[in-house]
Amino acid sequence: MKPSDYKKDCGLVFDFHRGTTHDGPGMRTTVFLKGCPLHCAWCHNPESIDPHPALQWTERECIGCRTCVNTCQFGAVQADEEGIQIRRDWCQECYQCAEKCPPGALKVVGTYWDVDSLAAEALKDSMFFEDFEGGVTVSGGEPILQYRFVTEFLKKIKEAGQNTALDTCGLGLREAYESVYPYVDTFLYDIKLMDKNEHIRYTGMSNQLILNNLIWLIQKAGGDPDKKIWIRTPLIPGATATEENIEKIGKFLKGEVLKGIERWELCAFNNVCKDKYRKMHLEWDYRDTPLMTEDNANRFLQIARKYVGEKAVLSGLTAKD
Amino acid sequence: MLENKSAFQVSERVERLWKRSTDLSKSGKRNVYVDNPEFLVYHWSGHSAGFSPATGEMALSDDERINLGDHNCRVDTGVPFPYADEMPSKVDGFEYSVTNWARDYAFFLDHSPAEVYPDERIVSEFHWQLDEARKFVYPEEVTELGFELRQLGAGGTSLAHTCPDLSIGLKKGWAGLLKDVKASLEKWKTYGNETRVEYLNAQVMVVEAIMRFIGRHADQAEKLAAEESEPQQKKLYLEVAANMRQIASGKPKTFEQAVQWIQVYEVVERINGHGNGYGRLDQLLIDFYRKDLEKGIITREEARELLAELYLKYGGNYFSFGGRDIKGKDATNEISWLGLEAYDMVGGYNHLGVMWHPDMDESYYHYACDVVTRHGCGVPTLVNYDVLRDSELYSGYRYEDAWNVSYSGCQWYCSVGSEYSDHDLNSFVLTAPMQRAMKRAEEEACGEFETFFSIYEEEVERTAEALAEFKNRVYKWQARVWPEMVTTLCMKDTIDKGLDITDIGGARNAYTSVNVLAVPNVVDSIYAIKKVIFEDKLYTMAQLNEAIANNWKGQEIFRQIMLKQEKFGNDEDHVDEIYQRVATNIRETLERQHNIKGFHFRASLFQYMGHTYAGPIIGATPDGRLAEEPIAHGCNPMHGRNHNGITATAKSLLKVPFRKYQGGSLQIELQPKFFDGKEQKGSYIEKFSRAYMKNGGVQINFNVIDLDQLKKAIDDPTNPEYSDIVVKVTGYSAHFVVMDREFQKEFVTRINYEAI
Repeated sequence: MKPSDYKKDCGLVFDFHRGTTHDGPGMRTTVFLKGCPLHCAWCHNPESIDPHPALQWTERECIGCRTCVNTCQFGAVQADEEGIQIRRDWCQECYQCAEKCPPGALKVVGTYWDVDSLAAEALKDSMFFEDFEGGVTVSGGEPILQYRFVTEFLKKIKEAGQNTALDTCGLGLREAYESVYPYVDTFLYDIKLMDKNEHIRYTGMSNQLILNNLIWLIQKAGGDPDKKIWIRTPLIPGATATEENIEKIGKFLKGEVLKGIERWELCAFNNVCKDKYRKMHLEWDYRDTPLMTEDNANRFLQIARKYVGEKAVLSGLTAKD
Repeated sequence: MLENKSAFQVSERVERLWKRSTDLSKSGKRNVYVDNPEFLVYHWSGHSAGFSPATGEMALSDDERINLGDHNCRVDTGVPFPYADEMPSKVDGFEYSVTNWARDYAFFLDHSPAEVYPDERIVSEFHWQLDEARKFVYPEEVTELGFELRQLGAGGTSLAHTCPDLSIGLKKGWAGLLKDVKASLEKWKTYGNETRVEYLNAQVMVVEAIMRFIGRHADQAEKLAAEESEPQQKKLYLEVAANMRQIASGKPKTFEQAVQWIQVYEVVERINGHGNGYGRLDQLLIDFYRKDLEKGIITREEARELLAELYLKYGGNYFSFGGRDIKGKDATNEISWLGLEAYDMVGGYNHLGVMWHPDMDESYYHYACDVVTRHGCGVPTLVNYDVLRDSELYSGYRYEDAWNVSYSGCQWYCSVGSEYSDHDLNSFVLTAPMQRAMKRAEEEACGEFETFFSIYEEEVERTAEALAEFKNRVYKWQARVWPEMVTTLCMKDTIDKGLDITDIGGARNAYTSVNVLAVPNVVDSIYAIKKVIFEDKLYTMAQLNEAIANNWKGQEIFRQIMLKQEKFGNDEDHVDEIYQRVATNIRETLERQHNIKGFHFRASLFQYMGHTYAGPIIGATPDGRLAEEPIAHGCNPMHGRNHNGITATAKSLLKVPFRKYQGGSLQIELQPKFFDGKEQKGSYIEKFSRAYMKNGGVQINFNVIDLDQLKKAIDDPTNPEYSDIVVKVTGYSAHFVVMDREFQKEFVTRINYEAI
């Protein structure tokens, strides 16, 4: 199916990761859905925010053959001294330029998938799920934006007997969460910043609904041993990685809330996605931010442990010193 | 200093032995050489008939030959065999005959020094191989055919990875073996079969020479003991003398003597110049160990230390552990544990294999995965016992032979004592028939992909027939040119039959296995041809042939289009279907070829290192590869083309049933940071390999290597910081800094799964 062939009941997917051990229990296949209501300053998947397919040009892979320029009937692909420029307002979304590009330097980010095809693709690694006690994770972007599709998709995965996880920022309609709830085994639920104003400052949105949804989710899952909730907090230098923020999240999580939570994962920041920003001709404040040191990350872990004990864990790459 | 990564204490004595052994490796005194790049690609050099002799009249200079690294148990002294000119074949005349060979062997062994070094409990080593003193070449009618065959893209050398059944020798001792030889000799005399009488007379010469060789070790140890004043060392010398005295005349009685017996057997056998495997160490030694334990003359610690000493002494052993017994039950025993623990203690370079199966003691497999991860040297190799056994059964082995299969080195396995494995060194360069098919498709104006594929199949058949003709010419001569007389002593039936295992009718099983080189490149090429030439018709076959002939010069757009097509190794069915077709075709084509020993040819989806040097020899390929680039390693995707990760690659490989092939390992090179944040490093390898093998995978070679460090080591090879790095090249390991530069360069380009 070509990316432009939009169909009802299809989901817009921008990436897959197979064999990942970072997106929930065990080894998993993660499906990344396109479109996100937040605009986090540190976003690792900037190509995921826009809820439509989009052309992307990778300078490194381009051989300068101008096949794309000659292919486009609408003049939307142009070449200048900076390389290939795409006039998005002129683009008719036929994506012939990407199809014809010899080295594949022009790509369409975002492909529509129907439920059955996507489930078949996501289940390709089933033979590894058993030994690794893994399964399929839906991430994004924010998958809850496409909740009707996600519901059907996760239902298929459950029918295939596999474990499911939903990686969500928490900003979605209650009915959306109601809809996916029966088919999710593990919720990977982001709490980025506790302070409402800071949340608005760094993500563009308030965290009110996010926190309300979490309380609702914990109550709904209350006592069901098959439903697991992992809280995830990215450790972003200068933004989320402050003692104050971790303290505040810790205070929010302790007590009654904590009973419903299996773990709180602090995810150390890395800048490996900086190339994505370059491809999109976007500036990124974090491009030169180094890996957090192990000591520093452990400091935050200790704060978290004050509130949630051993449920707090550290993930992601850190620097030795 | 030995960096001990395990919980097992190393005694000062073993640490000194470790130092001597690793210093030999690191200083290039255990290197194996081959004559030329053609040997690696076609497994036939057109020069010597085996590996490149290190010294002697067939030796090449350092500029000419290629160094495979410290893959040898031969200890280089830097000088040629001092009695080379006095060899009987040089004094009395060379003949292609078993008697002529055996006289040389006996003279050679009689003039090889019997050495005992301080600190050793396990002794004996060698400094020269027989091919440094006796001419190892086939007559012209064979070599002529070899050059013709190379033009068609194949070649072969018959020389390696048979597993003799050492339990035969351990039970009988040399005297017992000699008695069998003599009994058979009398029998064949009665029947009046002069050929077999000649063979068995030659065997008497061989066994008696070996017994003298062992006896001289006892003499030497006694002499050293007499001169030694230090009581501990004196005691060691006397112990060595007693052990050697015992095994020179009788059977090994203790665990220690059994280990010593194995070391001596390996030395007098390997001196022939091949690289055989020596079977299932845990099955060979368990009874000796139990008896000694009962008698209270050994401890677990001592047994472990003796095995460690065996590893250090030989310098990389092809032994296997685990698997099943004849009834299908888990065969893991105390020696399986001790064998791995011994490696864990000394680490580094070795070639041990663990034969997993679904009923294996879980804690043992857990330990094996822990060891391979912790040491990071690719040891042990992880293989699937059930697939090995089933592959033997599929080919036609009887169950009584097939159950006792053993991993026997690199990606090989062998039914212990019942198989002559002509399988390490036959090569089929699959790009050659493809390139001929492309030419023909152009000339015959072929317009359909299926027609093209039929032409390709015809060309594969042409090379396969030529290969069979060549191998049969070799087999006609083999038992006279280079019999494997010591190996033959520990085979089933051979002495009784009075036939060498290389002879027609000798070994119970004598299939010819062929390493198929460049499968992934041919798959990627054929898929790209299908899409671009036949379906989209963007270019013609004539344009493609021209572009290839000119190494894509001036055709970058065309090359990029071919490169952009889906590639093998990403679990994409369209292209993996071509993999299935290509693999099935080469297998069936080879199975249609028969050797004069009465067995068919088998396909192996692995070729151990031709990929490094093949580039310029085979030229550019339609998959967009430039001539100067290496080709894919075995049936692993071409470097950098598996963009869907490790699980997708594994699944692509599994789309062929490995039991129908003779091996095909999955290579995984991991960077240390892959494990960052993972709680138990070994458990990742354990789960991954178990899932892979449960689904039909035959072998996994794991490397845990620091890419940055390797790159630095290439630029600064004499820096002692890098001298201990051991990498698994394919099925064998070697110290990185002593490997040939081309291997080093290729090694660092392999795909690394640094983050998942």
